[in-house]
Amino acid sequence: MIFLVSQRHTGLAILLLSLMSGFNEDNKASHAQLSSQFFGDLLDSIIVDVASECHRIARLGLDRNLEEEEEELRLSAQARVRVADPSNSGESNSKYVVDIFGQTHPPVANEIFDCMNCGRSIMAGRFAPHLEKCMGKGRKARLKVTRSSTAVQNRYSQGSPVSTYSPYSNSTNTSRLSNGTSGVAGEEYSNGTFQEP
Amino acid sequence: MTTGNPSYTNPKPCKHLADYKLNHGLSGYKSLQKHLKTAPHGKTSVGKPNTKTPRCISCDGFQDIERAELYCCVCCDQVYDPDFDKAVISKHIMGITGDKNGDESIGKRLVKRRRLSSGVVEELVDSKISKQLISMRDRRAKSCYPLGLRGLNNLGNTCFMNSVLQALLHAPPFRNYFLSGGHNHETCRKRSVGRLCLPCDIDVVFSAAFSGDRAPYSPAQFLYSWWQHSANQASYEQKDAHEFFISVLDGIHEKEVKSTQSRNQNRDNGDCQCIAHGVFSGLLRSDVTCMTCGFTSTTFDPCVDISLDLDTNNFPSKNTATKSIKPDANSSMSTLLGCLDLFTRQEKLGSDSKLYCQNCHERRDSAKQMSIKRLPLVLCLHIKRFEHSPVTKMSRKIDRYLQFPLSLDMTPYLSSSVVRNRFGNRIFAFETGESDISAEFEIFAVVTHAGTLESGHYVNFLRLRNQWYKCDDAWINEVDEGMVRASQCYMMFYVQKSLYQKANEDWSCLPISPRRNMFGQ
Repeated sequence: MIFLVSQRHTGLAILLLSLMSGFNEDNKASHAQLSSQFFGDLLDSIIVDVASECHRIARLGLDRNLEEEEEELRLSAQARVRVADPSNSGESNSKYVVDIFGQTHPPVANEIFDCMNCGRSIMAGRFAPHLEKCMGKGRKARLKVTRSSTAVQNRYSQGSPVSTYSPYSNSTNTSRLSNGTSGVAGEEYSNGTFQEP
Repeated sequence: MTTGNPSYTNPKPCKHLADYKLNHGLSGYKSLQKHLKTAPHGKTSVGKPNTKTPRCISCDGFQDIERAELYCCVCCDQVYDPDFDKAVISKHIMGITGDKNGDESIGKRLVKRRRLSSGVVEELVDSKISKQLISMRDRRAKSCYPLGLRGLNNLGNTCFMNSVLQALLHAPPFRNYFLSGGHNHETCRKRSVGRLCLPCDIDVVFSAAFSGDRAPYSPAQFLYSWWQHSANQASYEQKDAHEFFISVLDGIHEKEVKSTQSRNQNRDNGDCQCIAHGVFSGLLRSDVTCMTCGFTSTTFDPCVDISLDLDTNNFPSKNTATKSIKPDANSSMSTLLGCLDLFTRQEKLGSDSKLYCQNCHERRDSAKQMSIKRLPLVLCLHIKRFEHSPVTKMSRKIDRYLQFPLSLDMTPYLSSSVVRNRFGNRIFAFETGESDISAEFEIFAVVTHAGTLESGHYVNFLRLRNQWYKCDDAWINEVDEGMVRASQCYMMFYVQKSLYQKANEDWSCLPISPRRNMFGQ
């Protein structure tokens, strides 16, 4: 029998019909043969799908520059290996003795200036918490945070789009990372000179 | 070789196909067109093999009926012809809109001409004047370090602010605008009246950073102004770098938008001429396709950045098929390109969220696909490292490593590429009026986060003249590229390659003259 598989579902329908008719011992062998033949055809079809797609992309010059992409991947992989190597202290959390200008800085910034709200002299590293209190508890009382990403996005996207469907919207929650510690050099970091890897 | 515009290498039709067309014209295609079967998801096949289609005697070329592709028996290869692809796509259009001509682009077409947004920046940038300003200020520059490189004091958990400020200070078009007097805090009218003006405060920060003074600067005034501005918004308490970034751009827009334009003018959102939007604003395209009839509804939304989900399930990238088959140790690693592929993947919306189809006049299963209609000058990519579980109501940070390239080609994510791909990469002008902006970008700043959701630390890595600097609040240190690559990125700032190269040339360091050394530096 010759089957013209012009549509995959047609092929499956034929398979089903063949199997349903004459379902007895004698036909078991030919059923197995039939199934594997159809499976083969379906598999071929899927393979040619991919091959055809690739062929078109390659022939029309649409493929991405894979060499560059692979080079980037390789460099990143290499970098991770180097950084993970315990013999290197070239880790981003290592403490530096001086910066590139030859300066050194204390864990808490000690520049002194006047608060522009109350006029008092404040140390830089403590300015933010001071300002928070200084600007009044009214700020906190007014806070009614709606932690929905859509609300934030809409606010900043300068107006709503005109459409029936919902536009570009993130999944339900914002991705926000707050920082608690001041994380200034020195706090959690190892002591000692930073060494170049 | 990648090009800025998604163009095809128009292949020469095989000789046999060319001969066939000479003899039979397009009548073969036209009769074939009647038997083309289009599917809502964009694929094409042939219904009944039509024996009446004129066949070439010598080549006996025929079609791959499952995929509606042409195959030449003599060349023994699949061949491509723009006219055939046009017939295929026209069939799609006819099927959806009932338009007998079917010669327009798929979906809604934005016809309005868009002014080059870089034009906004170009007129305000006069590099000669900027250079003079710099050289006048640069009396205490420390040897040959890049201008504008200066630490920022942490004022108490303000590293979220410092890390973004560093990126803004070194975003070429943004920096050029302020350095050439785009918004002069000394002459700004709003400021003199005593009103809050965020661009003025940013201008002050620019002046400080580029003054030549290398002692760390305390952006206290800026913090004060920003807090006042953001007190008007519910999110002021967030200490997230990304939220801060959005908030600052919003603050600039408020003050910079020309008085002739109303602040909330929807129509011109994509064309807002303020420096914030001029530099960072791009346009996203969203296509929602009915899975029953194929009708697609397209909307465009401006955006100042793109927030990406991590490709943790490692969906195969769009062009996986083109990759050589080799065991790749990195295949389980998340990559930025993988995230972008995920972002532009066609996503089937669940059956519980059927959308109304204008063609079918009822709610249908739909699929949504995002793409980039217009790229900005500076592209900010934000990684959503925050995961919220609706079950446990707990939030956590995803520490998973994300690989990112230093050179980024955004071509595959443009609307033209994405829409074309949806229709099987047929040779057809799907999108027009795009890309007067190149799609090649270079990274110049990376904001990284270390630690947990509640307690963590932001650090910025800057790339100036191909040297990487780690900006950890007050501390500026030189680092190698490897450290940046291995870091946990949270926000990445890419600038168009041409602007990056220009920035590297222009701002060469000024050598110390003997006279300058007298000032003790």
